[in-house]
Parts: sequence; C-alpha cells; structure tokens
Amino acid sequence: MKFHKAFKQALNMVLHSKLRSWLTILGIVIGVAAVIAIVSLSNSLETEMNSQFDALGGDLLTLTAGASRANYFSHGRGDSQEWGGGGATATEEGEEIELDRSDVQALKGVSDIKLMDTQISGNADIYYVAESGSVSVTGVDPSTWSQITTLEVAQGRMLGPADTNVIVIGGRIADGFFKKQLGINQLVTIESRLFRIVGILDDNSNSVYMPIDVAYDVIEDKERGIYDRIIIKVKDENQISLAINNTVKKLLIARHVTENTKDFSISSNQAQNESRAEMMNSMTTFLTAIAAVALLVGAVGVANTMFTSVLEKTKEIGIMKAIGARNNDILTIFLLNAALIGFIGGLLGVFFGGILSGMLPALMGQSGGMLSRMASGSSGISWSMVLITLFFSILLGMVSGAIPAYQASKLKPVDALRYE
Amino acid sequence: MTKQETVLLHLEDVWKIYKMGEVEVPALRGVTVEIKKGDFVAIIGASGSGKSTMMNLIGCLDAPSKGKIFLKGQDITKMSESNLATLRGQTIGFIFQQFNLIPSITAFNNVLLPLEFLEVDDKIAIERTRTILKLVGLDDKGHHLPTQLSGGQQQRVSIARSLASNPDIILADEPTGALDSVTGKKILELFHKLWKEEGKTIIMVTHDLNLAKYAHTLIELKDGQIISINKNFEVEK
Ligand SMILES: Nc1ncnc2c1ncn2[C@@H]1O[C@H](COP(=O)(O)OP(=O)(O)O)[C@@H](O)[C@H]1O
Ligand SMILES: [Mg+2]
Repeated sequence: MKFHKAFKQALNMVLHSKLRSWLTILGIVIGVAAVIAIVSLSNSLETEMNSQFDALGGDLLTLTAGASRANYFSHGRGDSQEWGGGGATATEEGEEIELDRSDVQALKGVSDIKLMDTQISGNADIYYVAESGSVSVTGVDPSTWSQITTLEVAQGRMLGPADTNVIVIGGRIADGFFKKQLGINQLVTIESRLFRIVGILDDNSNSVYMPIDVAYDVIEDKERGIYDRIIIKVKDENQISLAINNTVKKLLIARHVTENTKDFSISSNQAQNESRAEMMNSMTTFLTAIAAVALLVGAVGVANTMFTSVLEKTKEIGIMKAIGARNNDILTIFLLNAALIGFIGGLLGVFFGGILSGMLPALMGQSGGMLSRMASGSSGISWSMVLITLFFSILLGMVSGAIPAYQASKLKPVDALRYE
Repeated sequence: MTKQETVLLHLEDVWKIYKMGEVEVPALRGVTVEIKKGDFVAIIGASGSGKSTMMNLIGCLDAPSKGKIFLKGQDITKMSESNLATLRGQTIGFIFQQFNLIPSITAFNNVLLPLEFLEVDDKIAIERTRTILKLVGLDDKGHHLPTQLSGGQQQRVSIARSLASNPDIILADEPTGALDSVTGKKILELFHKLWKEEGKTIIMVTHDLNLAKYAHTLIELKDGQIISINKNFEVEK
C-alpha cells in the first residue's frame, strides 16, 4: 500500500474514533500545553533577567555592607536591625556595619573609579487622586545617577543635580498602576510629600527614583548619611578585576578590617548574573520535570488507547489482511494513526499552552513580581519551539503506539477474523 | 490440456488440528483434493465438519498442521507472510457470511481498498471499482456507508470487493447465511453469472442443498474428511 493511502486510512480511523480517543488526545494536549507554558515562561523570565542585567552594564560594581556575598535580592527590603541603622548589619559584638560618607571619601582615592552613586531603597505608599498603592522607592545621588544607570526615560528627563522634590517613575506606575494614566509634570503624593514627575522610564517596573536627600524622609527607618549601597562605575570595563582589587584594598584600610574580618562586599554584574542563572536553571529543571510527568501520563494514555483501538479493530485488521494487506501495511496504518493522535494533541497543546503562558503572569498578579511584569511583555513562544513540540508529540504518539501497532500487524488473519 | 483441465488448487493430505489447551481437536483429517480452473465448487456438510477450516486454508488465512497446499503450482505453506498477503490480494477474493465490510468507509472505498493494497494506479482502480459496482448492480450506491445498505446490498458490495483485483478464485463461506432465502437466491444467481460469463473459479461453503445445486462440483465433508465428490451436470455451461 502506498504511503498516502495508508495515511488516508489512518486519518479516517482518527476521524471515526470514539470519544475515548479524543480524551486521550486531551491527555496529550494537557501535557504539551504544560510544557509549552513552562518553557515559554522560563524563556521570557530569562529574557527579562538578561535585559535587566544588560541594563546594569558591565562597568558597574555594587558595594554593600556586611560580610556576606552581595545580597542582591534583599536590598529592596530596607533591612533594619535592632540598632535601627538603615541598611546596616550588626556584628556579633553589636557594632554596626554600614556604609557612610567615610567610605565615599575612601573610594574617592581609588583612581580606577570614575563615578559613584549612593543609594537607599525601600517601599513607600504612593497616592494619586483617591487611589493608593505600594511602590519600591530608590533614593539616588541626583548628580551622578543619570550618568551611571543604564535605565532610560521614555518621556521627560532623568534626575539632575539641582532636583529635590521630583521623581522619575517606572513605566508600570505611569500606565496601569492607577486608573488614570500618569504624565510628565503631574503631582503625586508619596508618604505625605508632594512630588512632581519629571521622567517616565522605558520599562515595566513599579519603581520610583528620587534624590536621596528626600528619600531619607520618605523611606522608613533610614538614617541620614547611611547608604544601603554604593554603585561604582569604573573607568575601564576591561580592567574591572583590577578595579575591584584596588577598591577592596582601599576599603580594608579605611574600615580597619583585614581580609578575614572583611565587613563589606563588592559584586560585579557578572557574578550576580551567574547566581541568577543558577537559580533559573534549577527552577526550569524542576518545572520541566513536572511537565515531563504530564507528558508521560499523556503517552501512557496514547498507548492505552492504541491497545484498545487495536482490540476494537481486530476484525477490521483481519478483513484487511484477507483482502491483501501486508503486515507492513497494517503497521504503517496504525503507526500513522498514533502519530496523528500525537500531532493533533500537540497542535492543540501548543495552542492552549500559548494562551496559558500569556495568562499565567497576569494570574499571578502583583505577587508574581517579575512574572507580572512580563504580562505585557513579549510571549516566550517561538516558531522553532512550536515545531520542536509538534515533532516530539508526533514522536510520542508513535513511540506509545509502536507496540500495539506491531501487535496488530502480527495478528494471524484467521484469528483476527474470528474476533467479535 | 484444455483450460478447464488446469489445476488451480491442490490439497495434499491436509490436516488441521486445533489445540485447545491439552485437548486436540482435529478439524481436517487428511484432505486431498484438486480443484480445476473455472470450476464452481460447493463444499457441503454438517456444522462442525471442517468446511470453514478448509476454506481458511485454501484462502491462505491459516496454515495447515500437516500436508501441502498448492495454489497455481506454488506451495503456500512455504511462503513468507508478505508474499502470502500479496498472493491473497491478487489470487483470492473473499466473501464472508457477515459481509465484513469496513464500516467507516463508503461502499465505493470498500471495493477500492484491495486495489490500494495492491498499489494499483489510482485511475485504473477507480475505473475498475465503477465497473464492478455496476456488475453487481450497485452503481448508484457507491457513496453509501455499509450501514446504510440492506443485507443483500452489503453482500453485493462484498462480492464486488472480492472481484476488484480480478482474482482467480472466489472463496465464499456461507455467503447467504445472513440473508433471507429470496435475497440469498439472488446472490447465488449473481455467482452463477460470474461463473458463466466472467469465467471465475468459485468455491462456496453452504449447508443449504437448495443453494448447492447452483454449483458444478459438490464436495461433501464429514468429520474433517471428504466423503464424496459429485458433479452436477445440470448446471453445465
Ligand atoms: N479456532 C478454533 N479453535 C478450536 N477449535 C476450532 C476452531 N475453529 C474450528 N474449530 C473446531 O473445528 C471443527 C471444524 O470447525 P469448522 O471448520 O468451523 O466447521 P464448519 O465450518 O463446517 O461448521 C469444529 O469441531 C470446531 O469446533
Ligand atoms: Mg463454518
């Protein structure tokens, strides 16, 4: 039998299949949809992260107090310990570890450093008309921030040296946070202080940037003159390790500590990137495992349907053999049937997976953090992914259908014909 | 040797023993017979006498436990499964008691199917299918599904299917068993026409002696053995 004739038979079999086959297809649909959603989610998560880290720039260092490794994830928390020092950590002896003017002074003596931006951050309540919400506020040095940060404004301008009661807001606050859209020169209240918006960032964040002087009044538990972190821009990106070494040496002396009692840490963009990637990897692996289980269940479903289908079609197989079908013809027809089930399941799975991956971030809402920001971002589904998925669901169908199809082909015509 | 004398089928001391667990059921016990080209044979005998078993062996649907079967001079007990399938497709047309049409495809496609297995060119196959449906008087029913046809019509479709590949032998196991006597008689008349006008070799199983009288040769089985072979000269061509 020619291939396209066998295909016609297989297609006919699928079209005339009972509800049960369609339920099997549903099994594959769910598996594939889960895979698509998970893969596309982690894809866009990765893109989102990469874009954030690209934005940080390779010539930037982040100096924080404390002996631990750079704690990127906690700097927005506004750590405040029993001593009440903003952004400070306490040693065992109860001595505060913090960054202050003297550190800035010390850093000024490092020739590799081009610019510095002292920052504090935390959460604050924002009010506009009758609405309110919580945003993350970062106080920055208005005279250097715009030269150091790689954030860009979509409208308006960045902060300048003379600014006081003005802010630059993230794209999400301008559009989507309040019922009304916010624009340049509009006034908002943050913790009972009035601010004028001078710039809107070209991003999707819920962040507010303001001069550090006013930020001390807005963010709770921050002590004036104490910084959460100092962002350092080096002169030569290619000499960044040298710059780190020199900076560390200088700070060890200035802070009267040794390599062993070091009470500060400097992290570069690259290092953060790596730890992020590590976390991403383990998360993706975990999610993929879940999806794989879902797919496995789908595969078992196909195998089960194929076995029953072979049983159901035993008589037809006998008839086909009686009128000249070779074993190979039967094998081809049943394999194609399984492949078609896989294909249809895959196709529907890609479709629903696409919808799901578009919906998930929105469902997670505010608590989704980075995920929620992706809701309006680009979907992580690519054509190559669709093709690979389809290829694998067809393969899945065929692998699960292989044994039943082989059994069907080996049936003795006389036995098959007698089957009722 | 005239055309009539060519031996198409030869069974030589054929045994078929079914094993049911420990019990052995001998269904055929040393059957030896020659069937010549162009003959119309009726195999008769009581239920359980081995008629269907013999048909299945002749039709290469099953292998004998012992003995040899020659179809057109070839020993089919020595052939590979795939060669056997092709031989079946080209040489033998089956007609079953329960019609055995594929329920999900139309009458036309049922008749077309054997030609597709034989990889006959589409145009020729479709033309052939039309011609045969006309021959069995169903040229207007091709687009119907089997369930939309009466029993007699379904059996005609299955006869058409058995004729599609223009086989040497038509094998029919109780072809009228599921039909009423009037319809059954019409089917037998069709067989008679195929035999006389198309020159087909027909082997038919029946336990109805009224129908057996259409045949030219009568083989009677009893307990797996041939007890008589008679010629019916009234139906001479
Ligand atoms: N698949 C089988 N397994 C076991 N015994 C069988 C099988 N097929 C037929 N038989 C037995 O073989 C004998 C002949 O059966 P069969 O050829 O069907 O007779 P008929 O068609 O003349 O009624 C019967 O005794 C029947 O029970
Ligand atoms: Mg029988």
